[in-house]
Amino acid sequence: MTAVSPAAGLVESDEPQAESPDFKRNYWVFAVPATVVILAVIVFPWLFTVYMSFHIWEIGGGTTFVWLDNYRQLFADQRFHEALVHTLVFTLLATLIPIVLGTLAALVFHREFRGRGILRTIFVMPMMATPVAIALVWTMMFHPQLGVLNYLLSQVGIPPQAWVYSPSTVIPTLVLVEVWQWTPLVMLIVLGGLAGLPREPYESALIDGANSFQMFVHITFPLLWPFILVALIIRVIDALKVFDTIFVISSGGPGTASETINIFLYLQAFAYYNIGYASAVVVVFFAVIVAISLLMLHVRQKTKWNA
Amino acid sequence: MEGESLVLKVLRKAAFAFAVFVLVSPAILFFLWTISLSFKSEIDNMAFPPVFVPSPPTLANYETVFSRNDFLGYFINSVLVTGGAVLIGLLVGVPAGYGIARSKSSRFAIVILIARMTPALSYLIPLFIVFQLLGMVGTIGALIVTHLVITIPIIVWIMIGYFESLPAELEDAAMVDGCTTWQAFRHIAVPLARPGIVISSILAFIFSWNNFIFSVVLGGKQARTLPSAVYNVLSFEQVSWGPLAAAALLVSLPVLLLTVFAQKQIVAGLSAGGLKDG
Amino acid sequence: MTTFRISRRRLMQAAAIVPILGAPAIVRRANAQSSFDWKRYAGEKIDVALTKTPRNDYFQSVEHEFTELTGIEVSSEQIPEQQARQKQVIEFASGSPTFDVTNISLAVMKRLAGKGQWLEDLRPMLDDPEQTAPDFDFADISRGGVAFSTQADGRMDTLPCSLDYFLLYYNKELFEQAGVEFPTSMDDIVQVAAKLTKPENNVYGFVSRGLKNANVPVWMNLLFGQDIDALDAGGKLMTDTDEAIWAANLYRTLNKDYAPPGTIGFNWSECQTTFTQGYAAMWLDSTAWARAMEDPAKSRIAGKVGYGVMPAGPKASASAIFAEGIGIARGSKKKGPAWLYLQWYLNKKNQSMLVQTGAGSSARISPFKDPAVIENSPLPRAYFDMLVKSIDIGRPGLPDIIPVTEFRDTFGVALTNMIGGAEAAPELKAATEAFRPILEKSEKA
Repeated sequence: MTAVSPAAGLVESDEPQAESPDFKRNYWVFAVPATVVILAVIVFPWLFTVYMSFHIWEIGGGTTFVWLDNYRQLFADQRFHEALVHTLVFTLLATLIPIVLGTLAALVFHREFRGRGILRTIFVMPMMATPVAIALVWTMMFHPQLGVLNYLLSQVGIPPQAWVYSPSTVIPTLVLVEVWQWTPLVMLIVLGGLAGLPREPYESALIDGANSFQMFVHITFPLLWPFILVALIIRVIDALKVFDTIFVISSGGPGTASETINIFLYLQAFAYYNIGYASAVVVVFFAVIVAISLLMLHVRQKTKWNA
Repeated sequence: MEGESLVLKVLRKAAFAFAVFVLVSPAILFFLWTISLSFKSEIDNMAFPPVFVPSPPTLANYETVFSRNDFLGYFINSVLVTGGAVLIGLLVGVPAGYGIARSKSSRFAIVILIARMTPALSYLIPLFIVFQLLGMVGTIGALIVTHLVITIPIIVWIMIGYFESLPAELEDAAMVDGCTTWQAFRHIAVPLARPGIVISSILAFIFSWNNFIFSVVLGGKQARTLPSAVYNVLSFEQVSWGPLAAAALLVSLPVLLLTVFAQKQIVAGLSAGGLKDG
Repeated sequence: MTTFRISRRRLMQAAAIVPILGAPAIVRRANAQSSFDWKRYAGEKIDVALTKTPRNDYFQSVEHEFTELTGIEVSSEQIPEQQARQKQVIEFASGSPTFDVTNISLAVMKRLAGKGQWLEDLRPMLDDPEQTAPDFDFADISRGGVAFSTQADGRMDTLPCSLDYFLLYYNKELFEQAGVEFPTSMDDIVQVAAKLTKPENNVYGFVSRGLKNANVPVWMNLLFGQDIDALDAGGKLMTDTDEAIWAANLYRTLNKDYAPPGTIGFNWSECQTTFTQGYAAMWLDSTAWARAMEDPAKSRIAGKVGYGVMPAGPKASASAIFAEGIGIARGSKKKGPAWLYLQWYLNKKNQSMLVQTGAGSSARISPFKDPAVIENSPLPRAYFDMLVKSIDIGRPGLPDIIPVTEFRDTFGVALTNMIGGAEAAPELKAATEAFRPILEKSEKA
């Protein structure tokens, strides 16, 4: 299987292609069962959420139609603004760091060395392990007094850190967990790119007397760029969506210092039972995610890439 | 000249080895520490400076996990929910991927793409309200339906890519010979796409297995899956690090084993499909 | 032995005071000559959702006794408080909860449960001699507790199953080493904590909950020292008054300057770990956690723990009470067996064992009158002395309003901000302003 993402297919097939229409006619039938299911469990919830967002909606209680009141309240809500900022800061850090580290890791794992298979498997494990389980273990390691991390730091002469127990370090610490968990995904995607690199440019560069750094900057990196871009898009979307680890490790605390939109929306829905208000959060968040995603797909389409 | 380049070579090798060490050690340390916690007594787990090697190792934490909780029941729930969602996902998702790939319907693909981007959490509220009306909160059925939100998009997504990479000529030829579209799909495309089906079911399995918030809210007691059980029942026992670490390992074990044994497929699938669940 | 007799007498005095705490009409059973039968539901099975507490650890460990007594199988589980609250709302709202019996935090969920009519009114069953064991002795359950568990409209939808009091645990060894005495007033806690704090040894003078939401009761208890509540009698918020600011400043100083790093994220469990491992000299929290103190498998300071009554505030002595009730889901199809479980949960033997093992305080009066309870307990006499005095000065730990969770979250964030260094007065003003509309909205609905 090639590393070409279906997104490429999607982008390419924007214009309907008219080839042998006789056979193409009834292919849509294959999608009917999935369409029914998707309409029921995916599209319907989207529409229903929009509907609920126009109401004051209590769990098990009555509903009142309030038109745009929830949105008005939301845009004036200081806590929501803060959550938005936390989400963006988190997303930025949790995208850039794994991209850099993951690319470096891919370059390392692209080389042949003894034990590569097993080490790569271990490297990939964090992203496979159940996030809740991981988060709980990290929480134990972050304990400011008894945690193993502060002990290890003390061994190299670094004073104990408060990790998730301080408003100023909680987001960087959560980013740390996210980086640990998802750098492997970037590595895998870039590794896929490295595997498909052509040989010719390097051979001619060698003849021209280029050193390996020059070769990386002028040949490898430009060829890898499309793959890094794919990884970037995936990272941004994933980082925006993170819920499990933050919920388990800090629940948005201390105070509201790490409250991202996802946490805010969960609390509104299932701790304060403001279903209508929470639905408005979902709608706004959904719009943000789709806008960012489409923007990035657009950027990707612009950068020429086709193997 | 000769000697210098040897030194350089050794240095370079050492630097490379160091890079590998730096990359891999966070994962190794994390899992070793978890294993260590799970085999130590409570007093050792709370000790500072920490005790690293369990001596003597104890199975008490694992016993606690199994004796104090219906761990086996949660495991069965997890298997039912994940298995059901993956199976239904394959039944509707593989044909859909085929149909979309062959008809090049980009509109459908965009819906799938957006579904992959949407946080799983945002489906929770409407689905909860619906299941509440239907009286289905706390049932395995409700959870399977909810997990379809995770499995269908990823299966369809990967299958589109896979079927697109298969040449259509074989099917076309078969259809010229009088084969129906269904027969062409069933007897030509599906067997060829088997690796893709394997990849998509492995990934769908992992993401569905790892999901926990659906079960926290919709699971109730009878339908609770493993991840939410670990969170709900054990998490606040932070005084008991041992059982918690043991449970964390047990929950992750199936997916970790899958990672080890199906590494190739996972690598291929992730570099192709990419998006994790949310 | 003399001291023991004294403490027993005081226990009895205290027990006599308990009934005065508030006395609704006493529910009586009409007929003592009953055809009650523990085995009438033999073969049935009930689901029980308990809150995660040492008390319920005890109940799970003796569950088989209930099955032997009644032939009813119990499938029970404990869920941590905060998750439990969310789950309860979700499950009750779904109309078909997956449990027959559940604990309700009377401090947090009572009004919500009453409004939603989640739970069965227990009075008819209590009055029915066929349903209620002749030796249940409802009159032995503290009137104060019953007042807690009775709704404003008179429905008694839970039985009070525990009353826990805030106290100041202290590490006697650390106190002796530093040569200091137990604080005599709330302000004095600061002085004492200062002398005990030695960061170079990883030892701190004080620890209490800093985690948002969980931290509010600590502040409330300090607030009671000024003889005010979160709301005055007319329902007006008192949370930005000078008294409230004084209490918040006290909370701020103790947790910012004399508590271990990271208390901002501590709930009771982390505090307990810190305290039982000997890293904190005082811990302000509830009697519910006493059981772990003297357990050498969990505590490094077994035998060295002091149990101090909450020191007096400037205007009053007070100990915050947290009551929990146990009730039967209205949607349950097994109300009969569930009611038997409730009776067993609250019977004299089990309630005495709770007190004796330190797994929690009892809602019954008789355990405090029973010398055997104290004699056989692994907890020292000082614990029981403290309990008695705390009962005297008990005061409901949280306001009786519907949006308790928002109250705790809003003021909880203000308190964490203070631990982070923010000034008390503006934080409380802002929190009060933020909470007022939520409160008004809930009162209107």
